[in-house]
Amino acid sequence: MKIDTLFIDKDLPLTFEIDYLISKLKTVPQWIDDPSSVYNFITAADDPISKAKKTLYITRNKGAVIRECPGTSYYTCCDYTILHAGTFCTMDCSYCILQAYFHPPVLQYFAGLETLGHTLEKMFSKNKIFRIGTGEYTDSLIWEKVSLLPEFLVNTFARQNNCLLELKTKTVNIESLLSLDHNGKTVIAWSLNTPDVIRSEEKGTASLTARLEAARIAESNGYRLAFHFDPLVIYPDCARHYKTVIQQIFEYVRPESIVWISIGTFRFMPKLKQIIEKRFNRSTICYGEFILGLDNKMRYFKPLRIALYKEIISCIKEYAPDLMVYFCMEDQEVWEKCMGFFPKKEGELGRLLDKSAVTHCHLNSRLL
Amino acid sequence: MFNSPCEILLSDIDLTDDRYQMSFEETSVAFLARSIKETGLMCPPLVRPTNNKCIIISGFNRIRAQLYNNETKIIVNQTPPDTSDYRCLLHAITALAFQRPLTHAELIRCTGRLSFFLEKEQIVQKSPAIFNTELNARFVEDLITIGALPDPALALIHLGNLTLNTAKKISVCETGMINIFLKIFSQIKASSSKQLEIIQYIMEIVARDAIDPTNFFNAKEIQALLFDENTAPGIKTTLLRTYLFERRFPTIFKTHQRVQEKISALKLGGNIKFLPPENFEGQYYGISFKAKRYDEFAATVQTLHTALSNPALKDIFHP
Repeated sequence: MKIDTLFIDKDLPLTFEIDYLISKLKTVPQWIDDPSSVYNFITAADDPISKAKKTLYITRNKGAVIRECPGTSYYTCCDYTILHAGTFCTMDCSYCILQAYFHPPVLQYFAGLETLGHTLEKMFSKNKIFRIGTGEYTDSLIWEKVSLLPEFLVNTFARQNNCLLELKTKTVNIESLLSLDHNGKTVIAWSLNTPDVIRSEEKGTASLTARLEAARIAESNGYRLAFHFDPLVIYPDCARHYKTVIQQIFEYVRPESIVWISIGTFRFMPKLKQIIEKRFNRSTICYGEFILGLDNKMRYFKPLRIALYKEIISCIKEYAPDLMVYFCMEDQEVWEKCMGFFPKKEGELGRLLDKSAVTHCHLNSRLL
Repeated sequence: MFNSPCEILLSDIDLTDDRYQMSFEETSVAFLARSIKETGLMCPPLVRPTNNKCIIISGFNRIRAQLYNNETKIIVNQTPPDTSDYRCLLHAITALAFQRPLTHAELIRCTGRLSFFLEKEQIVQKSPAIFNTELNARFVEDLITIGALPDPALALIHLGNLTLNTAKKISVCETGMINIFLKIFSQIKASSSKQLEIIQYIMEIVARDAIDPTNFFNAKEIQALLFDENTAPGIKTTLLRTYLFERRFPTIFKTHQRVQEKISALKLGGNIKFLPPENFEGQYYGISFKAKRYDEFAATVQTLHTALSNPALKDIFHP
């Protein structure tokens, strides 16, 4: 993590957690009274998004720590639970929604492991299975090199049996996690793409083989794994490229270690297009055959999505017939045509995923 | 400010020097010529004496009208010999702007010339006195940017073939691309939104398919479409948009076309509207019809009933 400017809330106590961050970042902190100093610093830049990727703001989470995934109507959501531990990312994927999601984008680390622990204890005491992840508003493991957060989470989740922790990443930052006694409750998940897409659209991320190698190492240390093909990008011959990636997955890891694989084609809020065109002028990712979806996001034309999904799913099933594969935000027609069934009832997809979580992570099966 | 009006030979005026001509209007001067003949020249043109010839600052039409009347002389106002280029330009612009509102093309020409002498902020500040209207900084900046486009741009703006929005959009392109767009817009007539759509599709196609823009423009389909003398500019616009949509969204285009053909094969007639889901994203097909009387209603239902056994209907739902 390359941070040029470090802001810290003045009223935050100088705990070991913050001291650790400062020592790792090797940047002189600026202690501030008001977050507007950070916002002004970022928005004054010619490219606020790039600036925000090099500016870290350590603060308290003033909102909800636990949130439900903001799924949209019409498309089926997996009922994921988000642990809001930080925002934004230091890597620079052209398609990243976070560029348009925050105003302005700010790389924030929410300090307060103790408070976080208390919040999690409440989740652990509920009679329900939860799949919890930190990778919705940030990459889960960009923080691994500089903070105690990933380690803390793995250790905390290891002590309970109704919640699965998913750490979703495009990095290979797993070193500090390998020796931990995770008790099978942590899933390390990699977002995967073809080498072409990684090269052209995922600036600053680890290569495909590096990610798969990291997955292999995580597996050898007992971690459960997950993979996310999201966003799938449609380009000439992409199906063949994605199948090669799938083949590689199973060359590196065993199907039994994989809790789930999600797939979802590229979709974006219309305003993201301008940002991509401005910041990534060589990217053609927005020039596919997109239509305005029923959630007001641009989506690939449905027959194109279905055609690619079918190829990918049949390829995965060749290697791992029983593996849980699911769509992130797709509709009934896509499910039925590609998977042969549709989790129609409310929460049905969530229950299928919970079941996989229970099986792989030895959660309390009576809570299903 | 000016020397007293004096009479000069028309042959002493350099008619080829149009550096101060701000107007784009090339109207007939026949009526003006008749008016001058009957009522005299009420307001003398303003000229700038240089060496042997005079350059026109304002009154281009009045001078043309005198020539039309086969006169050899004309009464003019002359600027003092030491009048600066800037002052002459101000006279030229204000003479026109306080006569009538300037067109966009004229504003571009005027701000472009003024920008040799004034900063953008000064143009904004002086705009009420020069243009007879207040211009904001952003607009002035746009005008100057557009003014830097190659020559045909201004003429196309004047003719209404190129809107300010479109001109601004293409001004950030590379020269080759700009020239291609100017050639396209010289052949078609489209609204601003359609012009922007054409630009967007072309830029996206050449970027996505990594095509050289010149090769794209020189493709025989585009050339045949744009330079067919028997096709009206409005029709060319429709044909170009269809062609570009097909290139930009080939699968969507084919799907729409296929479903439309199937719907036509159902022979539902003009009264029944069969609507596929928008963009084929939703799953619901719609059908609607109107009937004033029972027999009309029954006939329409019968048509629908007949369509049920048409294989095209199943093809629509299960391609």
